[in-house]
Amino acid sequence: MSQQDDFSNDDPKLPLPLNLSKWRTLPVKLMIAGVLLAILGVGAHVMRHGGADLVKQFGYAWLVAFMFCLSLGLGSLFLVIVHHLFDAGWSVATRRTCEHLASLLFPTLFVLWLPIGILAPKLYEWMGPKLQANPDHALAAKEILFNYKGFYLISIACFAVWWWFTNRLKYWSIKQDTASEKGNPAKGFMRFLGVNQNDPGVLECTLQMRKFASFGVFFFAFSLTFGAIMWMKALHHQWFSTMYGVCYFAGSVWLTLATVYVITMIMDRQRILTEVLHEHQFYFLGSLLFAFTVFYAYVTFSQYFIIWNANMPEETFYYVIREHGTWFLVSMVIIFGHFFAPFLTLLRIDVKQNVTIMLPLAAWAWLMHFFDMAFQIWPYQYRAGFPILWAVVALGIISFMVGVLATVFLKMFNSAPPFPQKDPRLVEAMGLYHPVPTPISGGELGQAEEGTDHLIRPKTKGGH
Amino acid sequence: MSAQKQYGLLAEFVNTSSVLHAAEKVRNAGFRKWDVFTPFPIHGMDKAMGLKNSKVGWFSFIGGVTGYATGMLMIWWMNAVDYKILIGGKPNFSPFGAFPPSYEMTILLGAFGAIGGMLFLNRLPRLHHPLLKNKRFGGATHDKFYIVIETTDPKYSEAETRKLLEAAGSRHIEMVEE
Repeated sequence: MSQQDDFSNDDPKLPLPLNLSKWRTLPVKLMIAGVLLAILGVGAHVMRHGGADLVKQFGYAWLVAFMFCLSLGLGSLFLVIVHHLFDAGWSVATRRTCEHLASLLFPTLFVLWLPIGILAPKLYEWMGPKLQANPDHALAAKEILFNYKGFYLISIACFAVWWWFTNRLKYWSIKQDTASEKGNPAKGFMRFLGVNQNDPGVLECTLQMRKFASFGVFFFAFSLTFGAIMWMKALHHQWFSTMYGVCYFAGSVWLTLATVYVITMIMDRQRILTEVLHEHQFYFLGSLLFAFTVFYAYVTFSQYFIIWNANMPEETFYYVIREHGTWFLVSMVIIFGHFFAPFLTLLRIDVKQNVTIMLPLAAWAWLMHFFDMAFQIWPYQYRAGFPILWAVVALGIISFMVGVLATVFLKMFNSAPPFPQKDPRLVEAMGLYHPVPTPISGGELGQAEEGTDHLIRPKTKGGH
Repeated sequence: MSAQKQYGLLAEFVNTSSVLHAAEKVRNAGFRKWDVFTPFPIHGMDKAMGLKNSKVGWFSFIGGVTGYATGMLMIWWMNAVDYKILIGGKPNFSPFGAFPPSYEMTILLGAFGAIGGMLFLNRLPRLHHPLLKNKRFGGATHDKFYIVIETTDPKYSEAETRKLLEAAGSRHIEMVEE
């Protein structure tokens, strides 16, 4: 092509890659710092308040940290699924990152869930001996789900679903990197199962991923809702809200988008993704972050507003608890910090590509999601207000978990190419315009090959 | 009849890439009062023309803020000051109850701001434009691409500008009259 390639790794205008060799040990440092911070927090708590209910309270801190980290896995799984559902072009470049992050759901996050599974009878009031012997009306009505078998079966089913879909979506994605052009895809039942194959061909891989995404989105919605209900909402077993799963989902994708933005930014700076990125990806990621800022506010406000308006004691008690003590301040932090600050920051079109604003904003999103999780989980137990010492412990556990997740993520990242190598939409992700029908867009196979001289790369990066 | 006033130079291009690169040349030459007309949007044209972000966003932002404030004030005035009615033991004014109508006012006035701002910035509506009576210009809705440089541009000089457009690859250049 005669036109100069603006996105080449050799472009002298690009900032130099950073020397990240010092950061290699960061995951381990995070783990150690996390453990120390947690010990410090627990120690301080024992000194001030004694050791009563220590395991139980530690369990709640663990739950806050776990639900925080689970958000990353679930949000990434959603981004992968939605990429296939919309047959998107631009997100091919960031898809491998999301696939790796989603794969953290199993087994890593499952192992991190185990303490909750073990401590569940202590953590959830409805599982305790008092209510088990003498269930109240709410528990009796919900007995079909809220029993020991139900709790563990649903928990395991959730992780099984997440394992199946993250595993299959990633398997076919990585398989595509080495697939041959035509291949020899399996037929009939084996194809339906989507299990391992020798040489499926590039097209078959995309169709398989699309298939798993198509019904995966239903499994995703149900499993996420069940997870949020069983592990978080069940702390108030008397309470009910149909929006609960959606609220957790909105916050999760919000956190994930901020994280993926930063990871993509680093990979761009390191010239790992530079060839397949253009400004649009950052603009689109920023726009999605903006969309989920609004979506989160919309669903959480709707939940509050409907309960406020109906004014029924069996619903309002949930928010009454959260208006007492310093929880009121936390709710204000969420309204202004989780919504207004990012909303007003992201309103301008150019901010979404501005690293110096987006990087602190992503860190801010992490902090706000932590407050969100704390606001969901702790108030029932800590009526007086935000438990600062346990927040220190929870931050320590988050640091530990993020260290573990980062280690696993980097291992997966090193085991596969950093972006899908042969995705039919890669050309579009690179900012090239491909006007001919392809087999993926529903055109005829033969037409795709003729179309290569139509490839136009606009010289300038702009426009949206 | 006195001589017709000249509006600007119309240069015709036959494909997207030639008009895109011509636009870059016109931009680099420092022209201000000029425009590109194409049958469909061309990716990268904003940058090629050196266009900044539209200012319409500010109009819708101001419209939205006005709408929200108006909604809140209106509901507060009507329910808590002018004609108090106690309903279901709820406070006469609460930002939660007043939010949905205020939110709708935000959207309404935000949309008005966007449309009004767009019309204002585009200097619309207008009844006539010199280009509309040019026969050749009809191609802009079919298969031709045009760059028009107005005579009122400070950089404009008929011979030089014509040369620039020719060098940029236009096969047909003509003067459009007011």
